[in-house]
Parts: sequence; structure tokens; C-alpha cells
Amino acid sequence: MRRSHIFGFIALVWFLLTLTAIVYATRLALFVAPTEATMGNVQRIFYYHVPSSMLSLIFPYVNLVASIFYLVLRRRDPLRALTADALALAAAEVTVVYSSISLLTGMLWGRAVWGIWWTWDARLTSMLLLWLLYVSYLMLRKLSATGQSQTLAAVLSVFAAIDVPIVFMSIRWWRGQHPSPVFGGGADTGIDPSMMPAFGWNVLAWAMWGVFLLVFRFALERRRQASEQDAALIAIEASLEIAQ
Amino acid sequence: MRGLAPIKIIAATLLVLATVGWLAYTGVRDTKSYYCTIGELSAMGNKAYTRNLRVAGNVQPGSIQRAGTGASFVLLEQGRTLRVNYQGAEPPPDTFKDDAQALAVGTYGRDGVFHATQLQAKCASKYAPAKSGEAPSGNTAMLAPAK
Repeated sequence: MRRSHIFGFIALVWFLLTLTAIVYATRLALFVAPTEATMGNVQRIFYYHVPSSMLSLIFPYVNLVASIFYLVLRRRDPLRALTADALALAAAEVTVVYSSISLLTGMLWGRAVWGIWWTWDARLTSMLLLWLLYVSYLMLRKLSATGQSQTLAAVLSVFAAIDVPIVFMSIRWWRGQHPSPVFGGGADTGIDPSMMPAFGWNVLAWAMWGVFLLVFRFALERRRQASEQDAALIAIEASLEIAQ
Repeated sequence: MRGLAPIKIIAATLLVLATVGWLAYTGVRDTKSYYCTIGELSAMGNKAYTRNLRVAGNVQPGSIQRAGTGASFVLLEQGRTLRVNYQGAEPPPDTFKDDAQALAVGTYGRDGVFHATQLQAKCASKYAPAKSGEAPSGNTAMLAPAK
């Protein structure tokens, strides 16, 4: 078997396993987990809101590490730098997907339980900032001059990453509207053991989906880079023929 | 010179990172402004009457008197009480009931009554299964002591 065939086969198996995990996790979250005492069925949004939020604080680090690799390698080893850049782009897109889901599910939940769609407390504000930073990262890549965009984006990525630990710590450092951490928050926090399978499976399923998106988008970007290089090569060859 | 360039960039980056982190941390730590407790409200002195504030507490059971979309009730926090008069465009949220954790947004009057224009609920970080057939209870846990 050719290498690309093996890769395609693994991707297909991964995709099918991911779909299975999502179906099972959805069943647990919506039908199996018990109804919560203080909020009722609305609390089930927790099984989507928290995993998405966790993932939107993990993928930025993939983007950061890939961006640092790009910055280090861009002169020494431009071809490898391009690989790092493709990974950085893919990770930023997945970050935007999950942070959007986190914000939207959070607003729906907030409206139902707090009575408001939005408030400017530390957690919500720093999370909106995270979303804006990675959206601006993607816009910068689209709008900056060719040849400059990778470097500019990689530098922006380093600065955007500062916000990630701030979002994580916001409910630990500061008083706000958002509840304090459910996990590891001390007394009067935590979820009932009967809710743990629904939570664990949703984290796993959405993490698998995130990894699938990341790898798929990375492969797509690698193809785009290859075709861009081919086009450049053809253009150079064509110009040489005219010169003769 | 070319060998020094990355070190300069890294040093400058670290400097910016540290500054932003420090500003964010100390800035919000010093103000803690999202809401105040009833104790902090009474310790504020004259400033309490001139600012738009958010006060947190638990609704004293039996104190809610509704009138149209408005309501009047008493907030409790660490043994302290605060009378709140809510007049807003929207009726109080469903989660607003006896013992519930609530935030009242508005101004503190010299009459000792807090005039709220908005009510928000706070939700818990502890989830337990409901007993079968029971309606959601709302967050009736006592507000955690101020940090």
C-alpha cells in the first residue's frame, strides 16, 4: 500500500470512531445523565459548554508551538517552516470553532439560568477577547500581503497565547458572574458521579472531533502549499523559455 | 548582529508578556469590581451612594413582594441584610425565589434601600441529580464568604 492510502485508511477509521463517540456521548448527555437539581434540564448544556471551552484553551497551544517553530525555522529550513505554518493555521481555525461554540452555548445557558445573555465579568470578557484574537489571526492571514502573512501571523499568535492562561485563571483570580471551577474548586463544587460518564465521553468525543478537524485541515493546507509551489515552478519555467 | 537579533526579539517579547500579565492581574485584583457584598457596601461610606453597583446575597425567605414587573425583597449575606426595591422593564428571572443567590444591579439610596434596575441569578458549581418529579430548586446555596 502507498503511504497516502495508509493515511487515508487511518483517517477514515478515526472519523468513524469519532462519529460513534459523538453519538454515544450525545445519548449519555441528553437521555442517560440525571436531571440536575438546581437548574433542571438546562444544565445538560454543561456537557457541550465545558468540553468545547476546555478544547478552545488547548488548541491555542498547538497554534503557539507551531508558530514558534515557524519563526525559528523560516530562514534555516523554509520547507519545514511551511509544515509548521500549516499546523498553526489549522489549530487557529479549530480554536475559533470551539471558542465560538463555548461563547454561544454559554450565552444560551446564561440567559436561562442567570437571566441575562451577556455580562462583562472577567471570564466572559477574557473569553470574548480570545475569540477576537484568533479571528483576527485568521483575518490577518487572509488580508496581509503574500510572503508576509506567515511571519506576521506567527508573531500575533505569540501575543494571542497570553490570553489563554488568563481565561483559565479568570474564575480563580477574580469574582464574577461565571461560577467558580466545577472541578477542583474545593467544597461545594463538583458533579455527581452519575454525571461523570456523560461528561467524560463528551470531552473524549469532541477532542477526537477536534483532532480530526485539525489533521484534515492541516492536510488540506499542505496540498494548497504544494500546488502553490507547483504553480510558482511552472511560472519560472515558462519565463525561462521566453528568455531563450 | 544577526546572531543577536533573535535574543533581542525574545527579550522584548518576554517583557511585553510579563507586563500585560502583571497589569491584568493587579488591575482586576485591586478593583474586584464585578460585584460587592453587603459588608463591603456598608464599608464604602459616601462612595456607596454615587456609584452604579452590583450587590450579591441570598434572597431572604418570605421577603419577596411582587408588584407588576417589579419586586421588593431583602438580600442576606453573612448575617447582614439589605432591602432591595427592584423596578425593571422585565420581570425577575424564573430562578429568583426564596433563598436563591442573586445579584441586584442599581444604586444605593440614602434611604437605606438599594434601588435595582436589573436582577441576575448566580448559579452553583455543584451539580446533583434532582429527585424524580421535582422542579428545579434554583441555586439556594449560601453565597461563599468574600475572597
